[in-house]
Amino acid sequence: MTRFLLHALAALAIAGIVHVFAVAAVPALSPRDAWTQVGAFGPDGRLNPVPRAAPGVATLPQIDPAMAHAVCRFDLAAGPMRIRARITETYWSVALFDRSGANLYSLTDRAAEGRPINLIVATPEQISQLRERPLPDSNEAIVVDWPASEGFVLMRVFVTSESAAPDVDRAIRAATCDRAQPR
Amino acid sequence: MSGRTLTAGPRLPILGARRTSSRAIVSPLRAFLALFVTAFVGVAGGLWSAWWVIQRGEPFGAVEAGPWRAFPSIGTPDADPYSRAIVARLGLVPLGAAEGLAFTARTDSEGRSLDGACTYRISGDTPSARLWTLSATDRAGGVLANQANRLVLTSREVLRDRDGQAVISVGAEVAPGNWLPISVPGPFQLVLRFYDTPAASQSLRTGLVLPSIVREGCR
Repeated sequence: MTRFLLHALAALAIAGIVHVFAVAAVPALSPRDAWTQVGAFGPDGRLNPVPRAAPGVATLPQIDPAMAHAVCRFDLAAGPMRIRARITETYWSVALFDRSGANLYSLTDRAAEGRPINLIVATPEQISQLRERPLPDSNEAIVVDWPASEGFVLMRVFVTSESAAPDVDRAIRAATCDRAQPR
Repeated sequence: MSGRTLTAGPRLPILGARRTSSRAIVSPLRAFLALFVTAFVGVAGGLWSAWWVIQRGEPFGAVEAGPWRAFPSIGTPDADPYSRAIVARLGLVPLGAAEGLAFTARTDSEGRSLDGACTYRISGDTPSARLWTLSATDRAGGVLANQANRLVLTSREVLRDRDGQAVISVGAEVAPGNWLPISVPGPFQLVLRFYDTPAASQSLRTGLVLPSIVREGCR
């Protein structure tokens, strides 16, 4: 009996350890994590529009059908990234996610106080390099200190009415997410 | 005497030897099997419990207001390992605290599961926000098709009465005023998203009031 209890306790201890490791391993093993799904909308290093949420449309899971979305997967290994857009008279937000899908930074039109979207995403080393050799018109940009190499941008723009949808789509197509080029 | 010892002598050691050998063979096998079963039960139990918690898709740290629930910590860097696993399994891109907060209701205000065969009336105060949107989805979060092709109702287009209150009808029957159509009978959920809202920050979440969902009738 005591031997059975000992085995049961041992099984419980093993189950606990396996449980903790299994839960912790899911983000690394998930075949459908946000990073993978975001990559399906176009090449990395540029801003790709995401289809509006509608019945039967393959898009990002559980996004607001009232919003137009665009994504940009980036890798800072080859240099800092720059995100620029001019979206007016509607709610917008730009969120930066790390590879595991954690939202590390976000900016809304209210926080930007009506200015156009002008973000530079750089690693701490790249930021110190930018201080020595600034990019053109970088004094207007918001510099985001990125703790990793990879990440992705998610832009949300509120579509006030269906008649405003073409304007929003145009603004998103005109927005850029590319390598910050020193000139 | 000598005969006895002779006959008994060789027998006893043999018996003894047999005993120890049978113990030596059976016990390690049993011990090994017991260890194997223990390890198997442990590993299987650990994997199963992890799968069960994650597929339920309900992270900890829910904020509740009537039938509405939100998970403000999901998608943040300080989310717990379960939320991280749920977010990664589904590939979610949750709203950050600066952007807004999404509430989901699976039941009406009396706790009955939302059903596409019924009509509901949503009314009451909402937290202050720059913008809100209301949409109906299936239990997995996919937007539901409807006959009027109106997938979402927003604070910009909603009609308000003289006191500034908005009353929204949800259901299959065409309703005057604010109507969010549902064409598919069966369980669904309502998603109410607030953008640019102080309700998304921790300190202002106490005493949060959200609209009630009242069932008016079923087909």
